[in-house]
Amino acid sequence: MKGSAAAPPLLEVDRVSVRFGALIAVNRVSLSVARGEIVAIIGPNGAGKTTLLNAVSGFYRPYEGTIAFEGQDRTRLAPPDVAALGIARTFQNVALFKGMSVLDNIMTGRLLKMRGSFLLEALYWGPARRQELEHRAFVERIIDFLEIQAIRKTPAGRLPYGLQKRVELARALAAEPKLLLLDEPMAGMNVEEKEDMCRFILDVNQEFDTTIALIEHDMGVVMDVSDRVVVLDYGRKIADGPPAAVRKDAAVLDAYLGVAHDA
Amino acid sequence: MIYREAGQFKSSYAGDQAIFPVVQDRVFVAAAVAAAVVVPPLLASEYWLQAVLIPFLVYALAALGLNLLTGYAGQLSLGTGGFMAVGAYSAFKLATAFPRLNIIVVFLLAGVAAAAVGILFGLPSLRIKGFYLAVATLAAQFFLIWLFNKVAWFTNYASSGTITAPDRTLFGALITGPNSTPSARYLTALGLVAVFALAAKNLVRGRIGRSWMAIRDRDIAAEIIGVRPLRTKLLAFAISSYYCGVAGAGLVFLYLGSAETLAFDIGISFLVLFMVIIGGLGSILGSFLGAAFIVLVPIVLSNAPHAIGLRMPVALQKQFELMVFGGLIILFLIVEPRGLARLWQIAKEKLRLWPFPH
Repeated sequence: MKGSAAAPPLLEVDRVSVRFGALIAVNRVSLSVARGEIVAIIGPNGAGKTTLLNAVSGFYRPYEGTIAFEGQDRTRLAPPDVAALGIARTFQNVALFKGMSVLDNIMTGRLLKMRGSFLLEALYWGPARRQELEHRAFVERIIDFLEIQAIRKTPAGRLPYGLQKRVELARALAAEPKLLLLDEPMAGMNVEEKEDMCRFILDVNQEFDTTIALIEHDMGVVMDVSDRVVVLDYGRKIADGPPAAVRKDAAVLDAYLGVAHDA
Repeated sequence: MIYREAGQFKSSYAGDQAIFPVVQDRVFVAAAVAAAVVVPPLLASEYWLQAVLIPFLVYALAALGLNLLTGYAGQLSLGTGGFMAVGAYSAFKLATAFPRLNIIVVFLLAGVAAAAVGILFGLPSLRIKGFYLAVATLAAQFFLIWLFNKVAWFTNYASSGTITAPDRTLFGALITGPNSTPSARYLTALGLVAVFALAAKNLVRGRIGRSWMAIRDRDIAAEIIGVRPLRTKLLAFAISSYYCGVAGAGLVFLYLGSAETLAFDIGISFLVLFMVIIGGLGSILGSFLGAAFIVLVPIVLSNAPHAIGLRMPVALQKQFELMVFGGLIILFLIVEPRGLARLWQIAKEKLRLWPFPH
């Protein structure tokens, strides 16, 4: 059951602009993501997709406009505060902690859920130890879910690219986010890896009931997994709707293929 | 290894999270600690205790501290000597102002003073990274040494400008001061280092260690999962300086007996940094290996020519020592830039599979 019309959207981006000096990377873009939805954001290179994601996750301050999460304005929060609200994300160029094992990488996703004093942790005693084991058990569930049991002790930097992407997804999932932002989760993958990733994205959406906004270039993937597609071009939103409709949209064809749409 | 962990299955996450999951490792470490407690006081000469083992322990503690900051949290620091000086001078002031205060409590409080100073000089780390941060911490080094030189209050207005460890007892035994035995000081240092090393290991394998390493490896990704950079870095500075402060107190109270600011000059900051780099950044074991290397190799080298029957003038031998020592450092860094701890790890992995290559 996808988000009903009555409930406020999980994420509401309202006329947001991001500027770098004179360059307007995102120009008065509005979009909303309903609870339980998978929304794909597509557009040619330089359209402002990642910039928009960075604004949502708090790396960039919007020049104008507001961003609301669960009905509350949170336009000017720093990234750790955004994470605390329940927004997790992955990066276009995998941003794993290369020196740490896969297990530790995923455990970092639980950091926000962990409490404690460093004295107890220095002793590894009582609540500190119990907490560590509880979170380990949760992380193991995610490891099982993403089928990466065999590599849990491997340093993340030694893994092939496709697996690194999967571990990054695991780290984001470990935070039990309400909204998951995926920046090109399938970039540079071969067909099988893409199929796996598609399956994981759909499973995450269904099993954990996580709302997902993703940026992707592979049109086949976008059309298959997403409930709705938002198209950006030169920082502006040019289309927003179900995949089938967007695929036929004249402005979208224009932006992607540069064809005239008179006949 | 000479043993295999075959047949040892971990059936709980607690078992898997243990520091030494393999039984033989646990036995080996327990035996090593027991040997460190029993053997040196019985067998080692005063020279060995005083010139080798005690400085090794004190430097290992400082290296542990710096390794938490530089190896785990990724914040380069050249202020180690300054933070050690804070520990040493605070311990001296506390011990002389409150003669009845237990000396271990004095050490721990000296660490608190060093931690506070560490937090202060860690503040720039929010804005600057890498070499630039190293230069900023250099300011701590020079300022603190200048402060202890200039303000006579810190030395209780001693005309010589030196601080001297007073006689203090623990469990009825004299453990600091000119009349204490090297064995007692050795055992005190060993106890401190053992406890602090265990605490460091627990910190780095848990929540705090992971947030440090996250900041070290990818600060942007760390922020996005909720790690607050300033808080995390300052905690690293605080705990690291705490270790360095206790090490500085140990340097004066357990090793040198008396010292002036010269004992904490920039040279010691570099020395501890070398220990951390040669031993292995981001490794508890590496801190010990690095300290052992820096403390032991010069001693071995100074005795080596004599041992193999080579006679040379003293001045030449001194030069020879420095050349070989420098050469060894370079050699080790070329062979394994990630330090002795990494070499040890590779050896373990290879031996585990031996005689098969994979």
